[in-house]
Amino acid sequence: MTEGISSPLAAGAAGRRWSARARDLLGGDQRRFWIPVFLAPFLVLYGGFTLWPLLATGLYSIFDWDGIEPLNRFVGLGNYARAFSDPIFWLAFRNTLLFAFLNCVIKLPLTFLAAVLLTQRWLWFKRFFRTVLFLPLILPVAAAGLVFTFLLNPSNGALDSFLVGSGLLKEPIDLLGHDNTALLTIVLVSVWQIFGQYLIYWMAALQSVPEDLYEAAAIDGAGPWRQMVAITLPLIRPVALIITLLALVNSLHVFGAVVTLTGGGPGQATYVVSYYIYNEAFRQAPFAYGYASAVALLFGVLAFLFVFGQGLLARSAERLRREYGV
Amino acid sequence: MTGRNRLVAIVGLVVLTATVAACGGSQPAASKTPGAPVTLKIEDFSPEQTAFHAQVAAEYHRLNPNITIDWQSIAQAQYLQTLPLAFQSQHAPDLFYWTAGGTNTMSQLMANGWIRPVSPDGKVPDSWTKRWPAGLFVNGINTSGGKVYGFPWQDTKYWGPGYMYLNKAVFQQAGLDPNKPPATWSELQQTCATIKAKTKAYCLAAPLKDTDWQRTWFAMAAGGLTDLFFDYRTGQYDLAESQNLQTFNYLQGLYRAGYMAPGVNDKAFSRQQFAAGQAGIYMDGPWMISVWDQLGFHSDGYAVAAHPVPDGGATGALSMRDNQNAYWVSSQTKHAAETWAFIQWMTEPTGFFVRNFLKNSFATLAFAENKTFLTDPAWKAVFKIAESKGFRVATPEPVLKCPALAQSKAEVDANRLHPNWEYEVMVSALVNNTNLAPLAQQVAAGRQTVLSSELQKESAGGLKVSLDCYTFSTWSYTQSYNSNQYPKS
Repeated sequence: MTEGISSPLAAGAAGRRWSARARDLLGGDQRRFWIPVFLAPFLVLYGGFTLWPLLATGLYSIFDWDGIEPLNRFVGLGNYARAFSDPIFWLAFRNTLLFAFLNCVIKLPLTFLAAVLLTQRWLWFKRFFRTVLFLPLILPVAAAGLVFTFLLNPSNGALDSFLVGSGLLKEPIDLLGHDNTALLTIVLVSVWQIFGQYLIYWMAALQSVPEDLYEAAAIDGAGPWRQMVAITLPLIRPVALIITLLALVNSLHVFGAVVTLTGGGPGQATYVVSYYIYNEAFRQAPFAYGYASAVALLFGVLAFLFVFGQGLLARSAERLRREYGV
Repeated sequence: MTGRNRLVAIVGLVVLTATVAACGGSQPAASKTPGAPVTLKIEDFSPEQTAFHAQVAAEYHRLNPNITIDWQSIAQAQYLQTLPLAFQSQHAPDLFYWTAGGTNTMSQLMANGWIRPVSPDGKVPDSWTKRWPAGLFVNGINTSGGKVYGFPWQDTKYWGPGYMYLNKAVFQQAGLDPNKPPATWSELQQTCATIKAKTKAYCLAAPLKDTDWQRTWFAMAAGGLTDLFFDYRTGQYDLAESQNLQTFNYLQGLYRAGYMAPGVNDKAFSRQQFAAGQAGIYMDGPWMISVWDQLGFHSDGYAVAAHPVPDGGATGALSMRDNQNAYWVSSQTKHAAETWAFIQWMTEPTGFFVRNFLKNSFATLAFAENKTFLTDPAWKAVFKIAESKGFRVATPEPVLKCPALAQSKAEVDANRLHPNWEYEVMVSALVNNTNLAPLAQQVAAGRQTVLSSELQKESAGGLKVSLDCYTFSTWSYTQSYNSNQYPKS
């Protein structure tokens, strides 16, 4: 005969008996039971979509594998040796770092300045400006790339038509067609496209600073610049570090803009690591999953060392600053 | 039932339902009842033919009410990635398009386990193979072990790069006669100078993005050597050979003089420039006839001519390779008989498929009388040009000299090293006005090293292959290498 839940009192009593049983089993600490239960979904997803692909990438990197045949052409570190000895890989690596550096150096100050302006009380039409600056983010990267391909075309693009028509240039300039300007042009297009995202980050950081600090500073006679230097910047520094790190890591993944704007060209002038992997691994059948995995892992390690090194330098500079009291 | 037991029961029921639902997604087993409904899945990367495929499906269904054709076409880049995934996940189509391996396509597909013979028992009637000119079913290329695995698709005599399209309006504006096209490099240079001086158009719309430079390069390089990056006479990768460097220097001169439309443009942009009258000349293959039509630019607006050759006369020719075996029957098909029936219907020389395919000018077909159906003046010009002596010649096929090459991966590995390397170094030298020779030597040496070392490894492993398989010292670049010149096995 089964028990029926005839009343809330009975249900509560059943629940308490069950909890007591659980407590007995777990040595009296229910958290030991509930912590893994709540962590389980995340762990399953993390394991399936992050850890397993990482381990699989490491496994594939030691094989010459086209993604179709069985995994039986073991090459050991051959793929890594090939990448190390390939000057085009190092060119792509250098371009990627250069892109990330330029991208961050341009977009972070610009977006910070824009965020400061948009949080000023005296500014009119704030919502309009926020919308306008945020709109490019809605465009997919590939679409933005295609639009700029037409805008910057020296044959009949809008930019060159304006510059030549207004007399600023005698002949059209091919920004995407020269080694010296192609990468910088991609950086600027990327900054334009991602502007809104970092604007939001900075605005959130600025709005976390308590307003009464500014009021107190104003009473003490501090002007806007002094308030910025003495209050805003110190207080948003932890968030600023995170924003900088995010900007750096995200810019290392550049791919869509390169594919649509230049296809890695002219020649190999705008090769970046992600495009190198795509080109080497998937542009010609049979594919080279093994080599692509090795390059991806190699780049991941090098990028990690680069970012980690930057973090160490930043911490060292901070420690010195405190020691000197500046 | 206690609350806890009820909860366990509910969760168990949900899991069971989800499991059954997930398992229910698989395809039903093939029905073996004659006349039972069958869906044949075909995949390729010809999205411009989607409307035509719908017509084909409707017509075939009308004739065979129990058979539905599901023909899917996607862009080439995505197709090359999704088809392997389809095979991996056991959801491959019944019939699919694949030419990525060139002459070795069949060998590669067999090694992948992707294909089966075109007919259920591997045998095909003579009446079917006679739809093609003699000699196109070759062991190692589309037949193996006496069974037919593929069939030639395009007629490679006409189909390929090397045609020069002239915009009549631009030529007339420049005071030039589009019916007297430039035949030599000097004449082309003079034509470009005239177009630049007398019109606002550019002379040459030459796409430079990605691999699109090949459209101009293949046409011009064939005048000096071949349109391949491999010299089958010497058995060497040939970008650094003197004739190719000479061709490149000539094109670099055109670029420096401002005769090429500026910008690292893709082929779509360059084609639109030409069709819109912003450029006087565009070089590409006969597929442009249908492309121009789709752009609303018809054959009364342009002329077709052969590519210009060096002033001293052509010392090379375009290549004609009988390797366009394009459609293959999947090893995972559950409808081998129905697929074979469809292939026979599709390849009827005067059937519905051929008539409407050629009517749309999608390509020339190796099993059809193309001249009967392709009557546009542009096509007539293409036929006349292609049939002129020395325009396109049969290139030596290494696998016919050394059948063991069907199992070799050396050439594939050599070509897979930086797949677009030749185009990248050429475009870089072009836009930066630098010397191509050092980079060309690097490219040729890089690929040659891989080819040689891989062949040596395979030979050491017992495969009868060597660099000699790729060397045909008696071949003249301007003449076809005939089947009777191969060693008898």
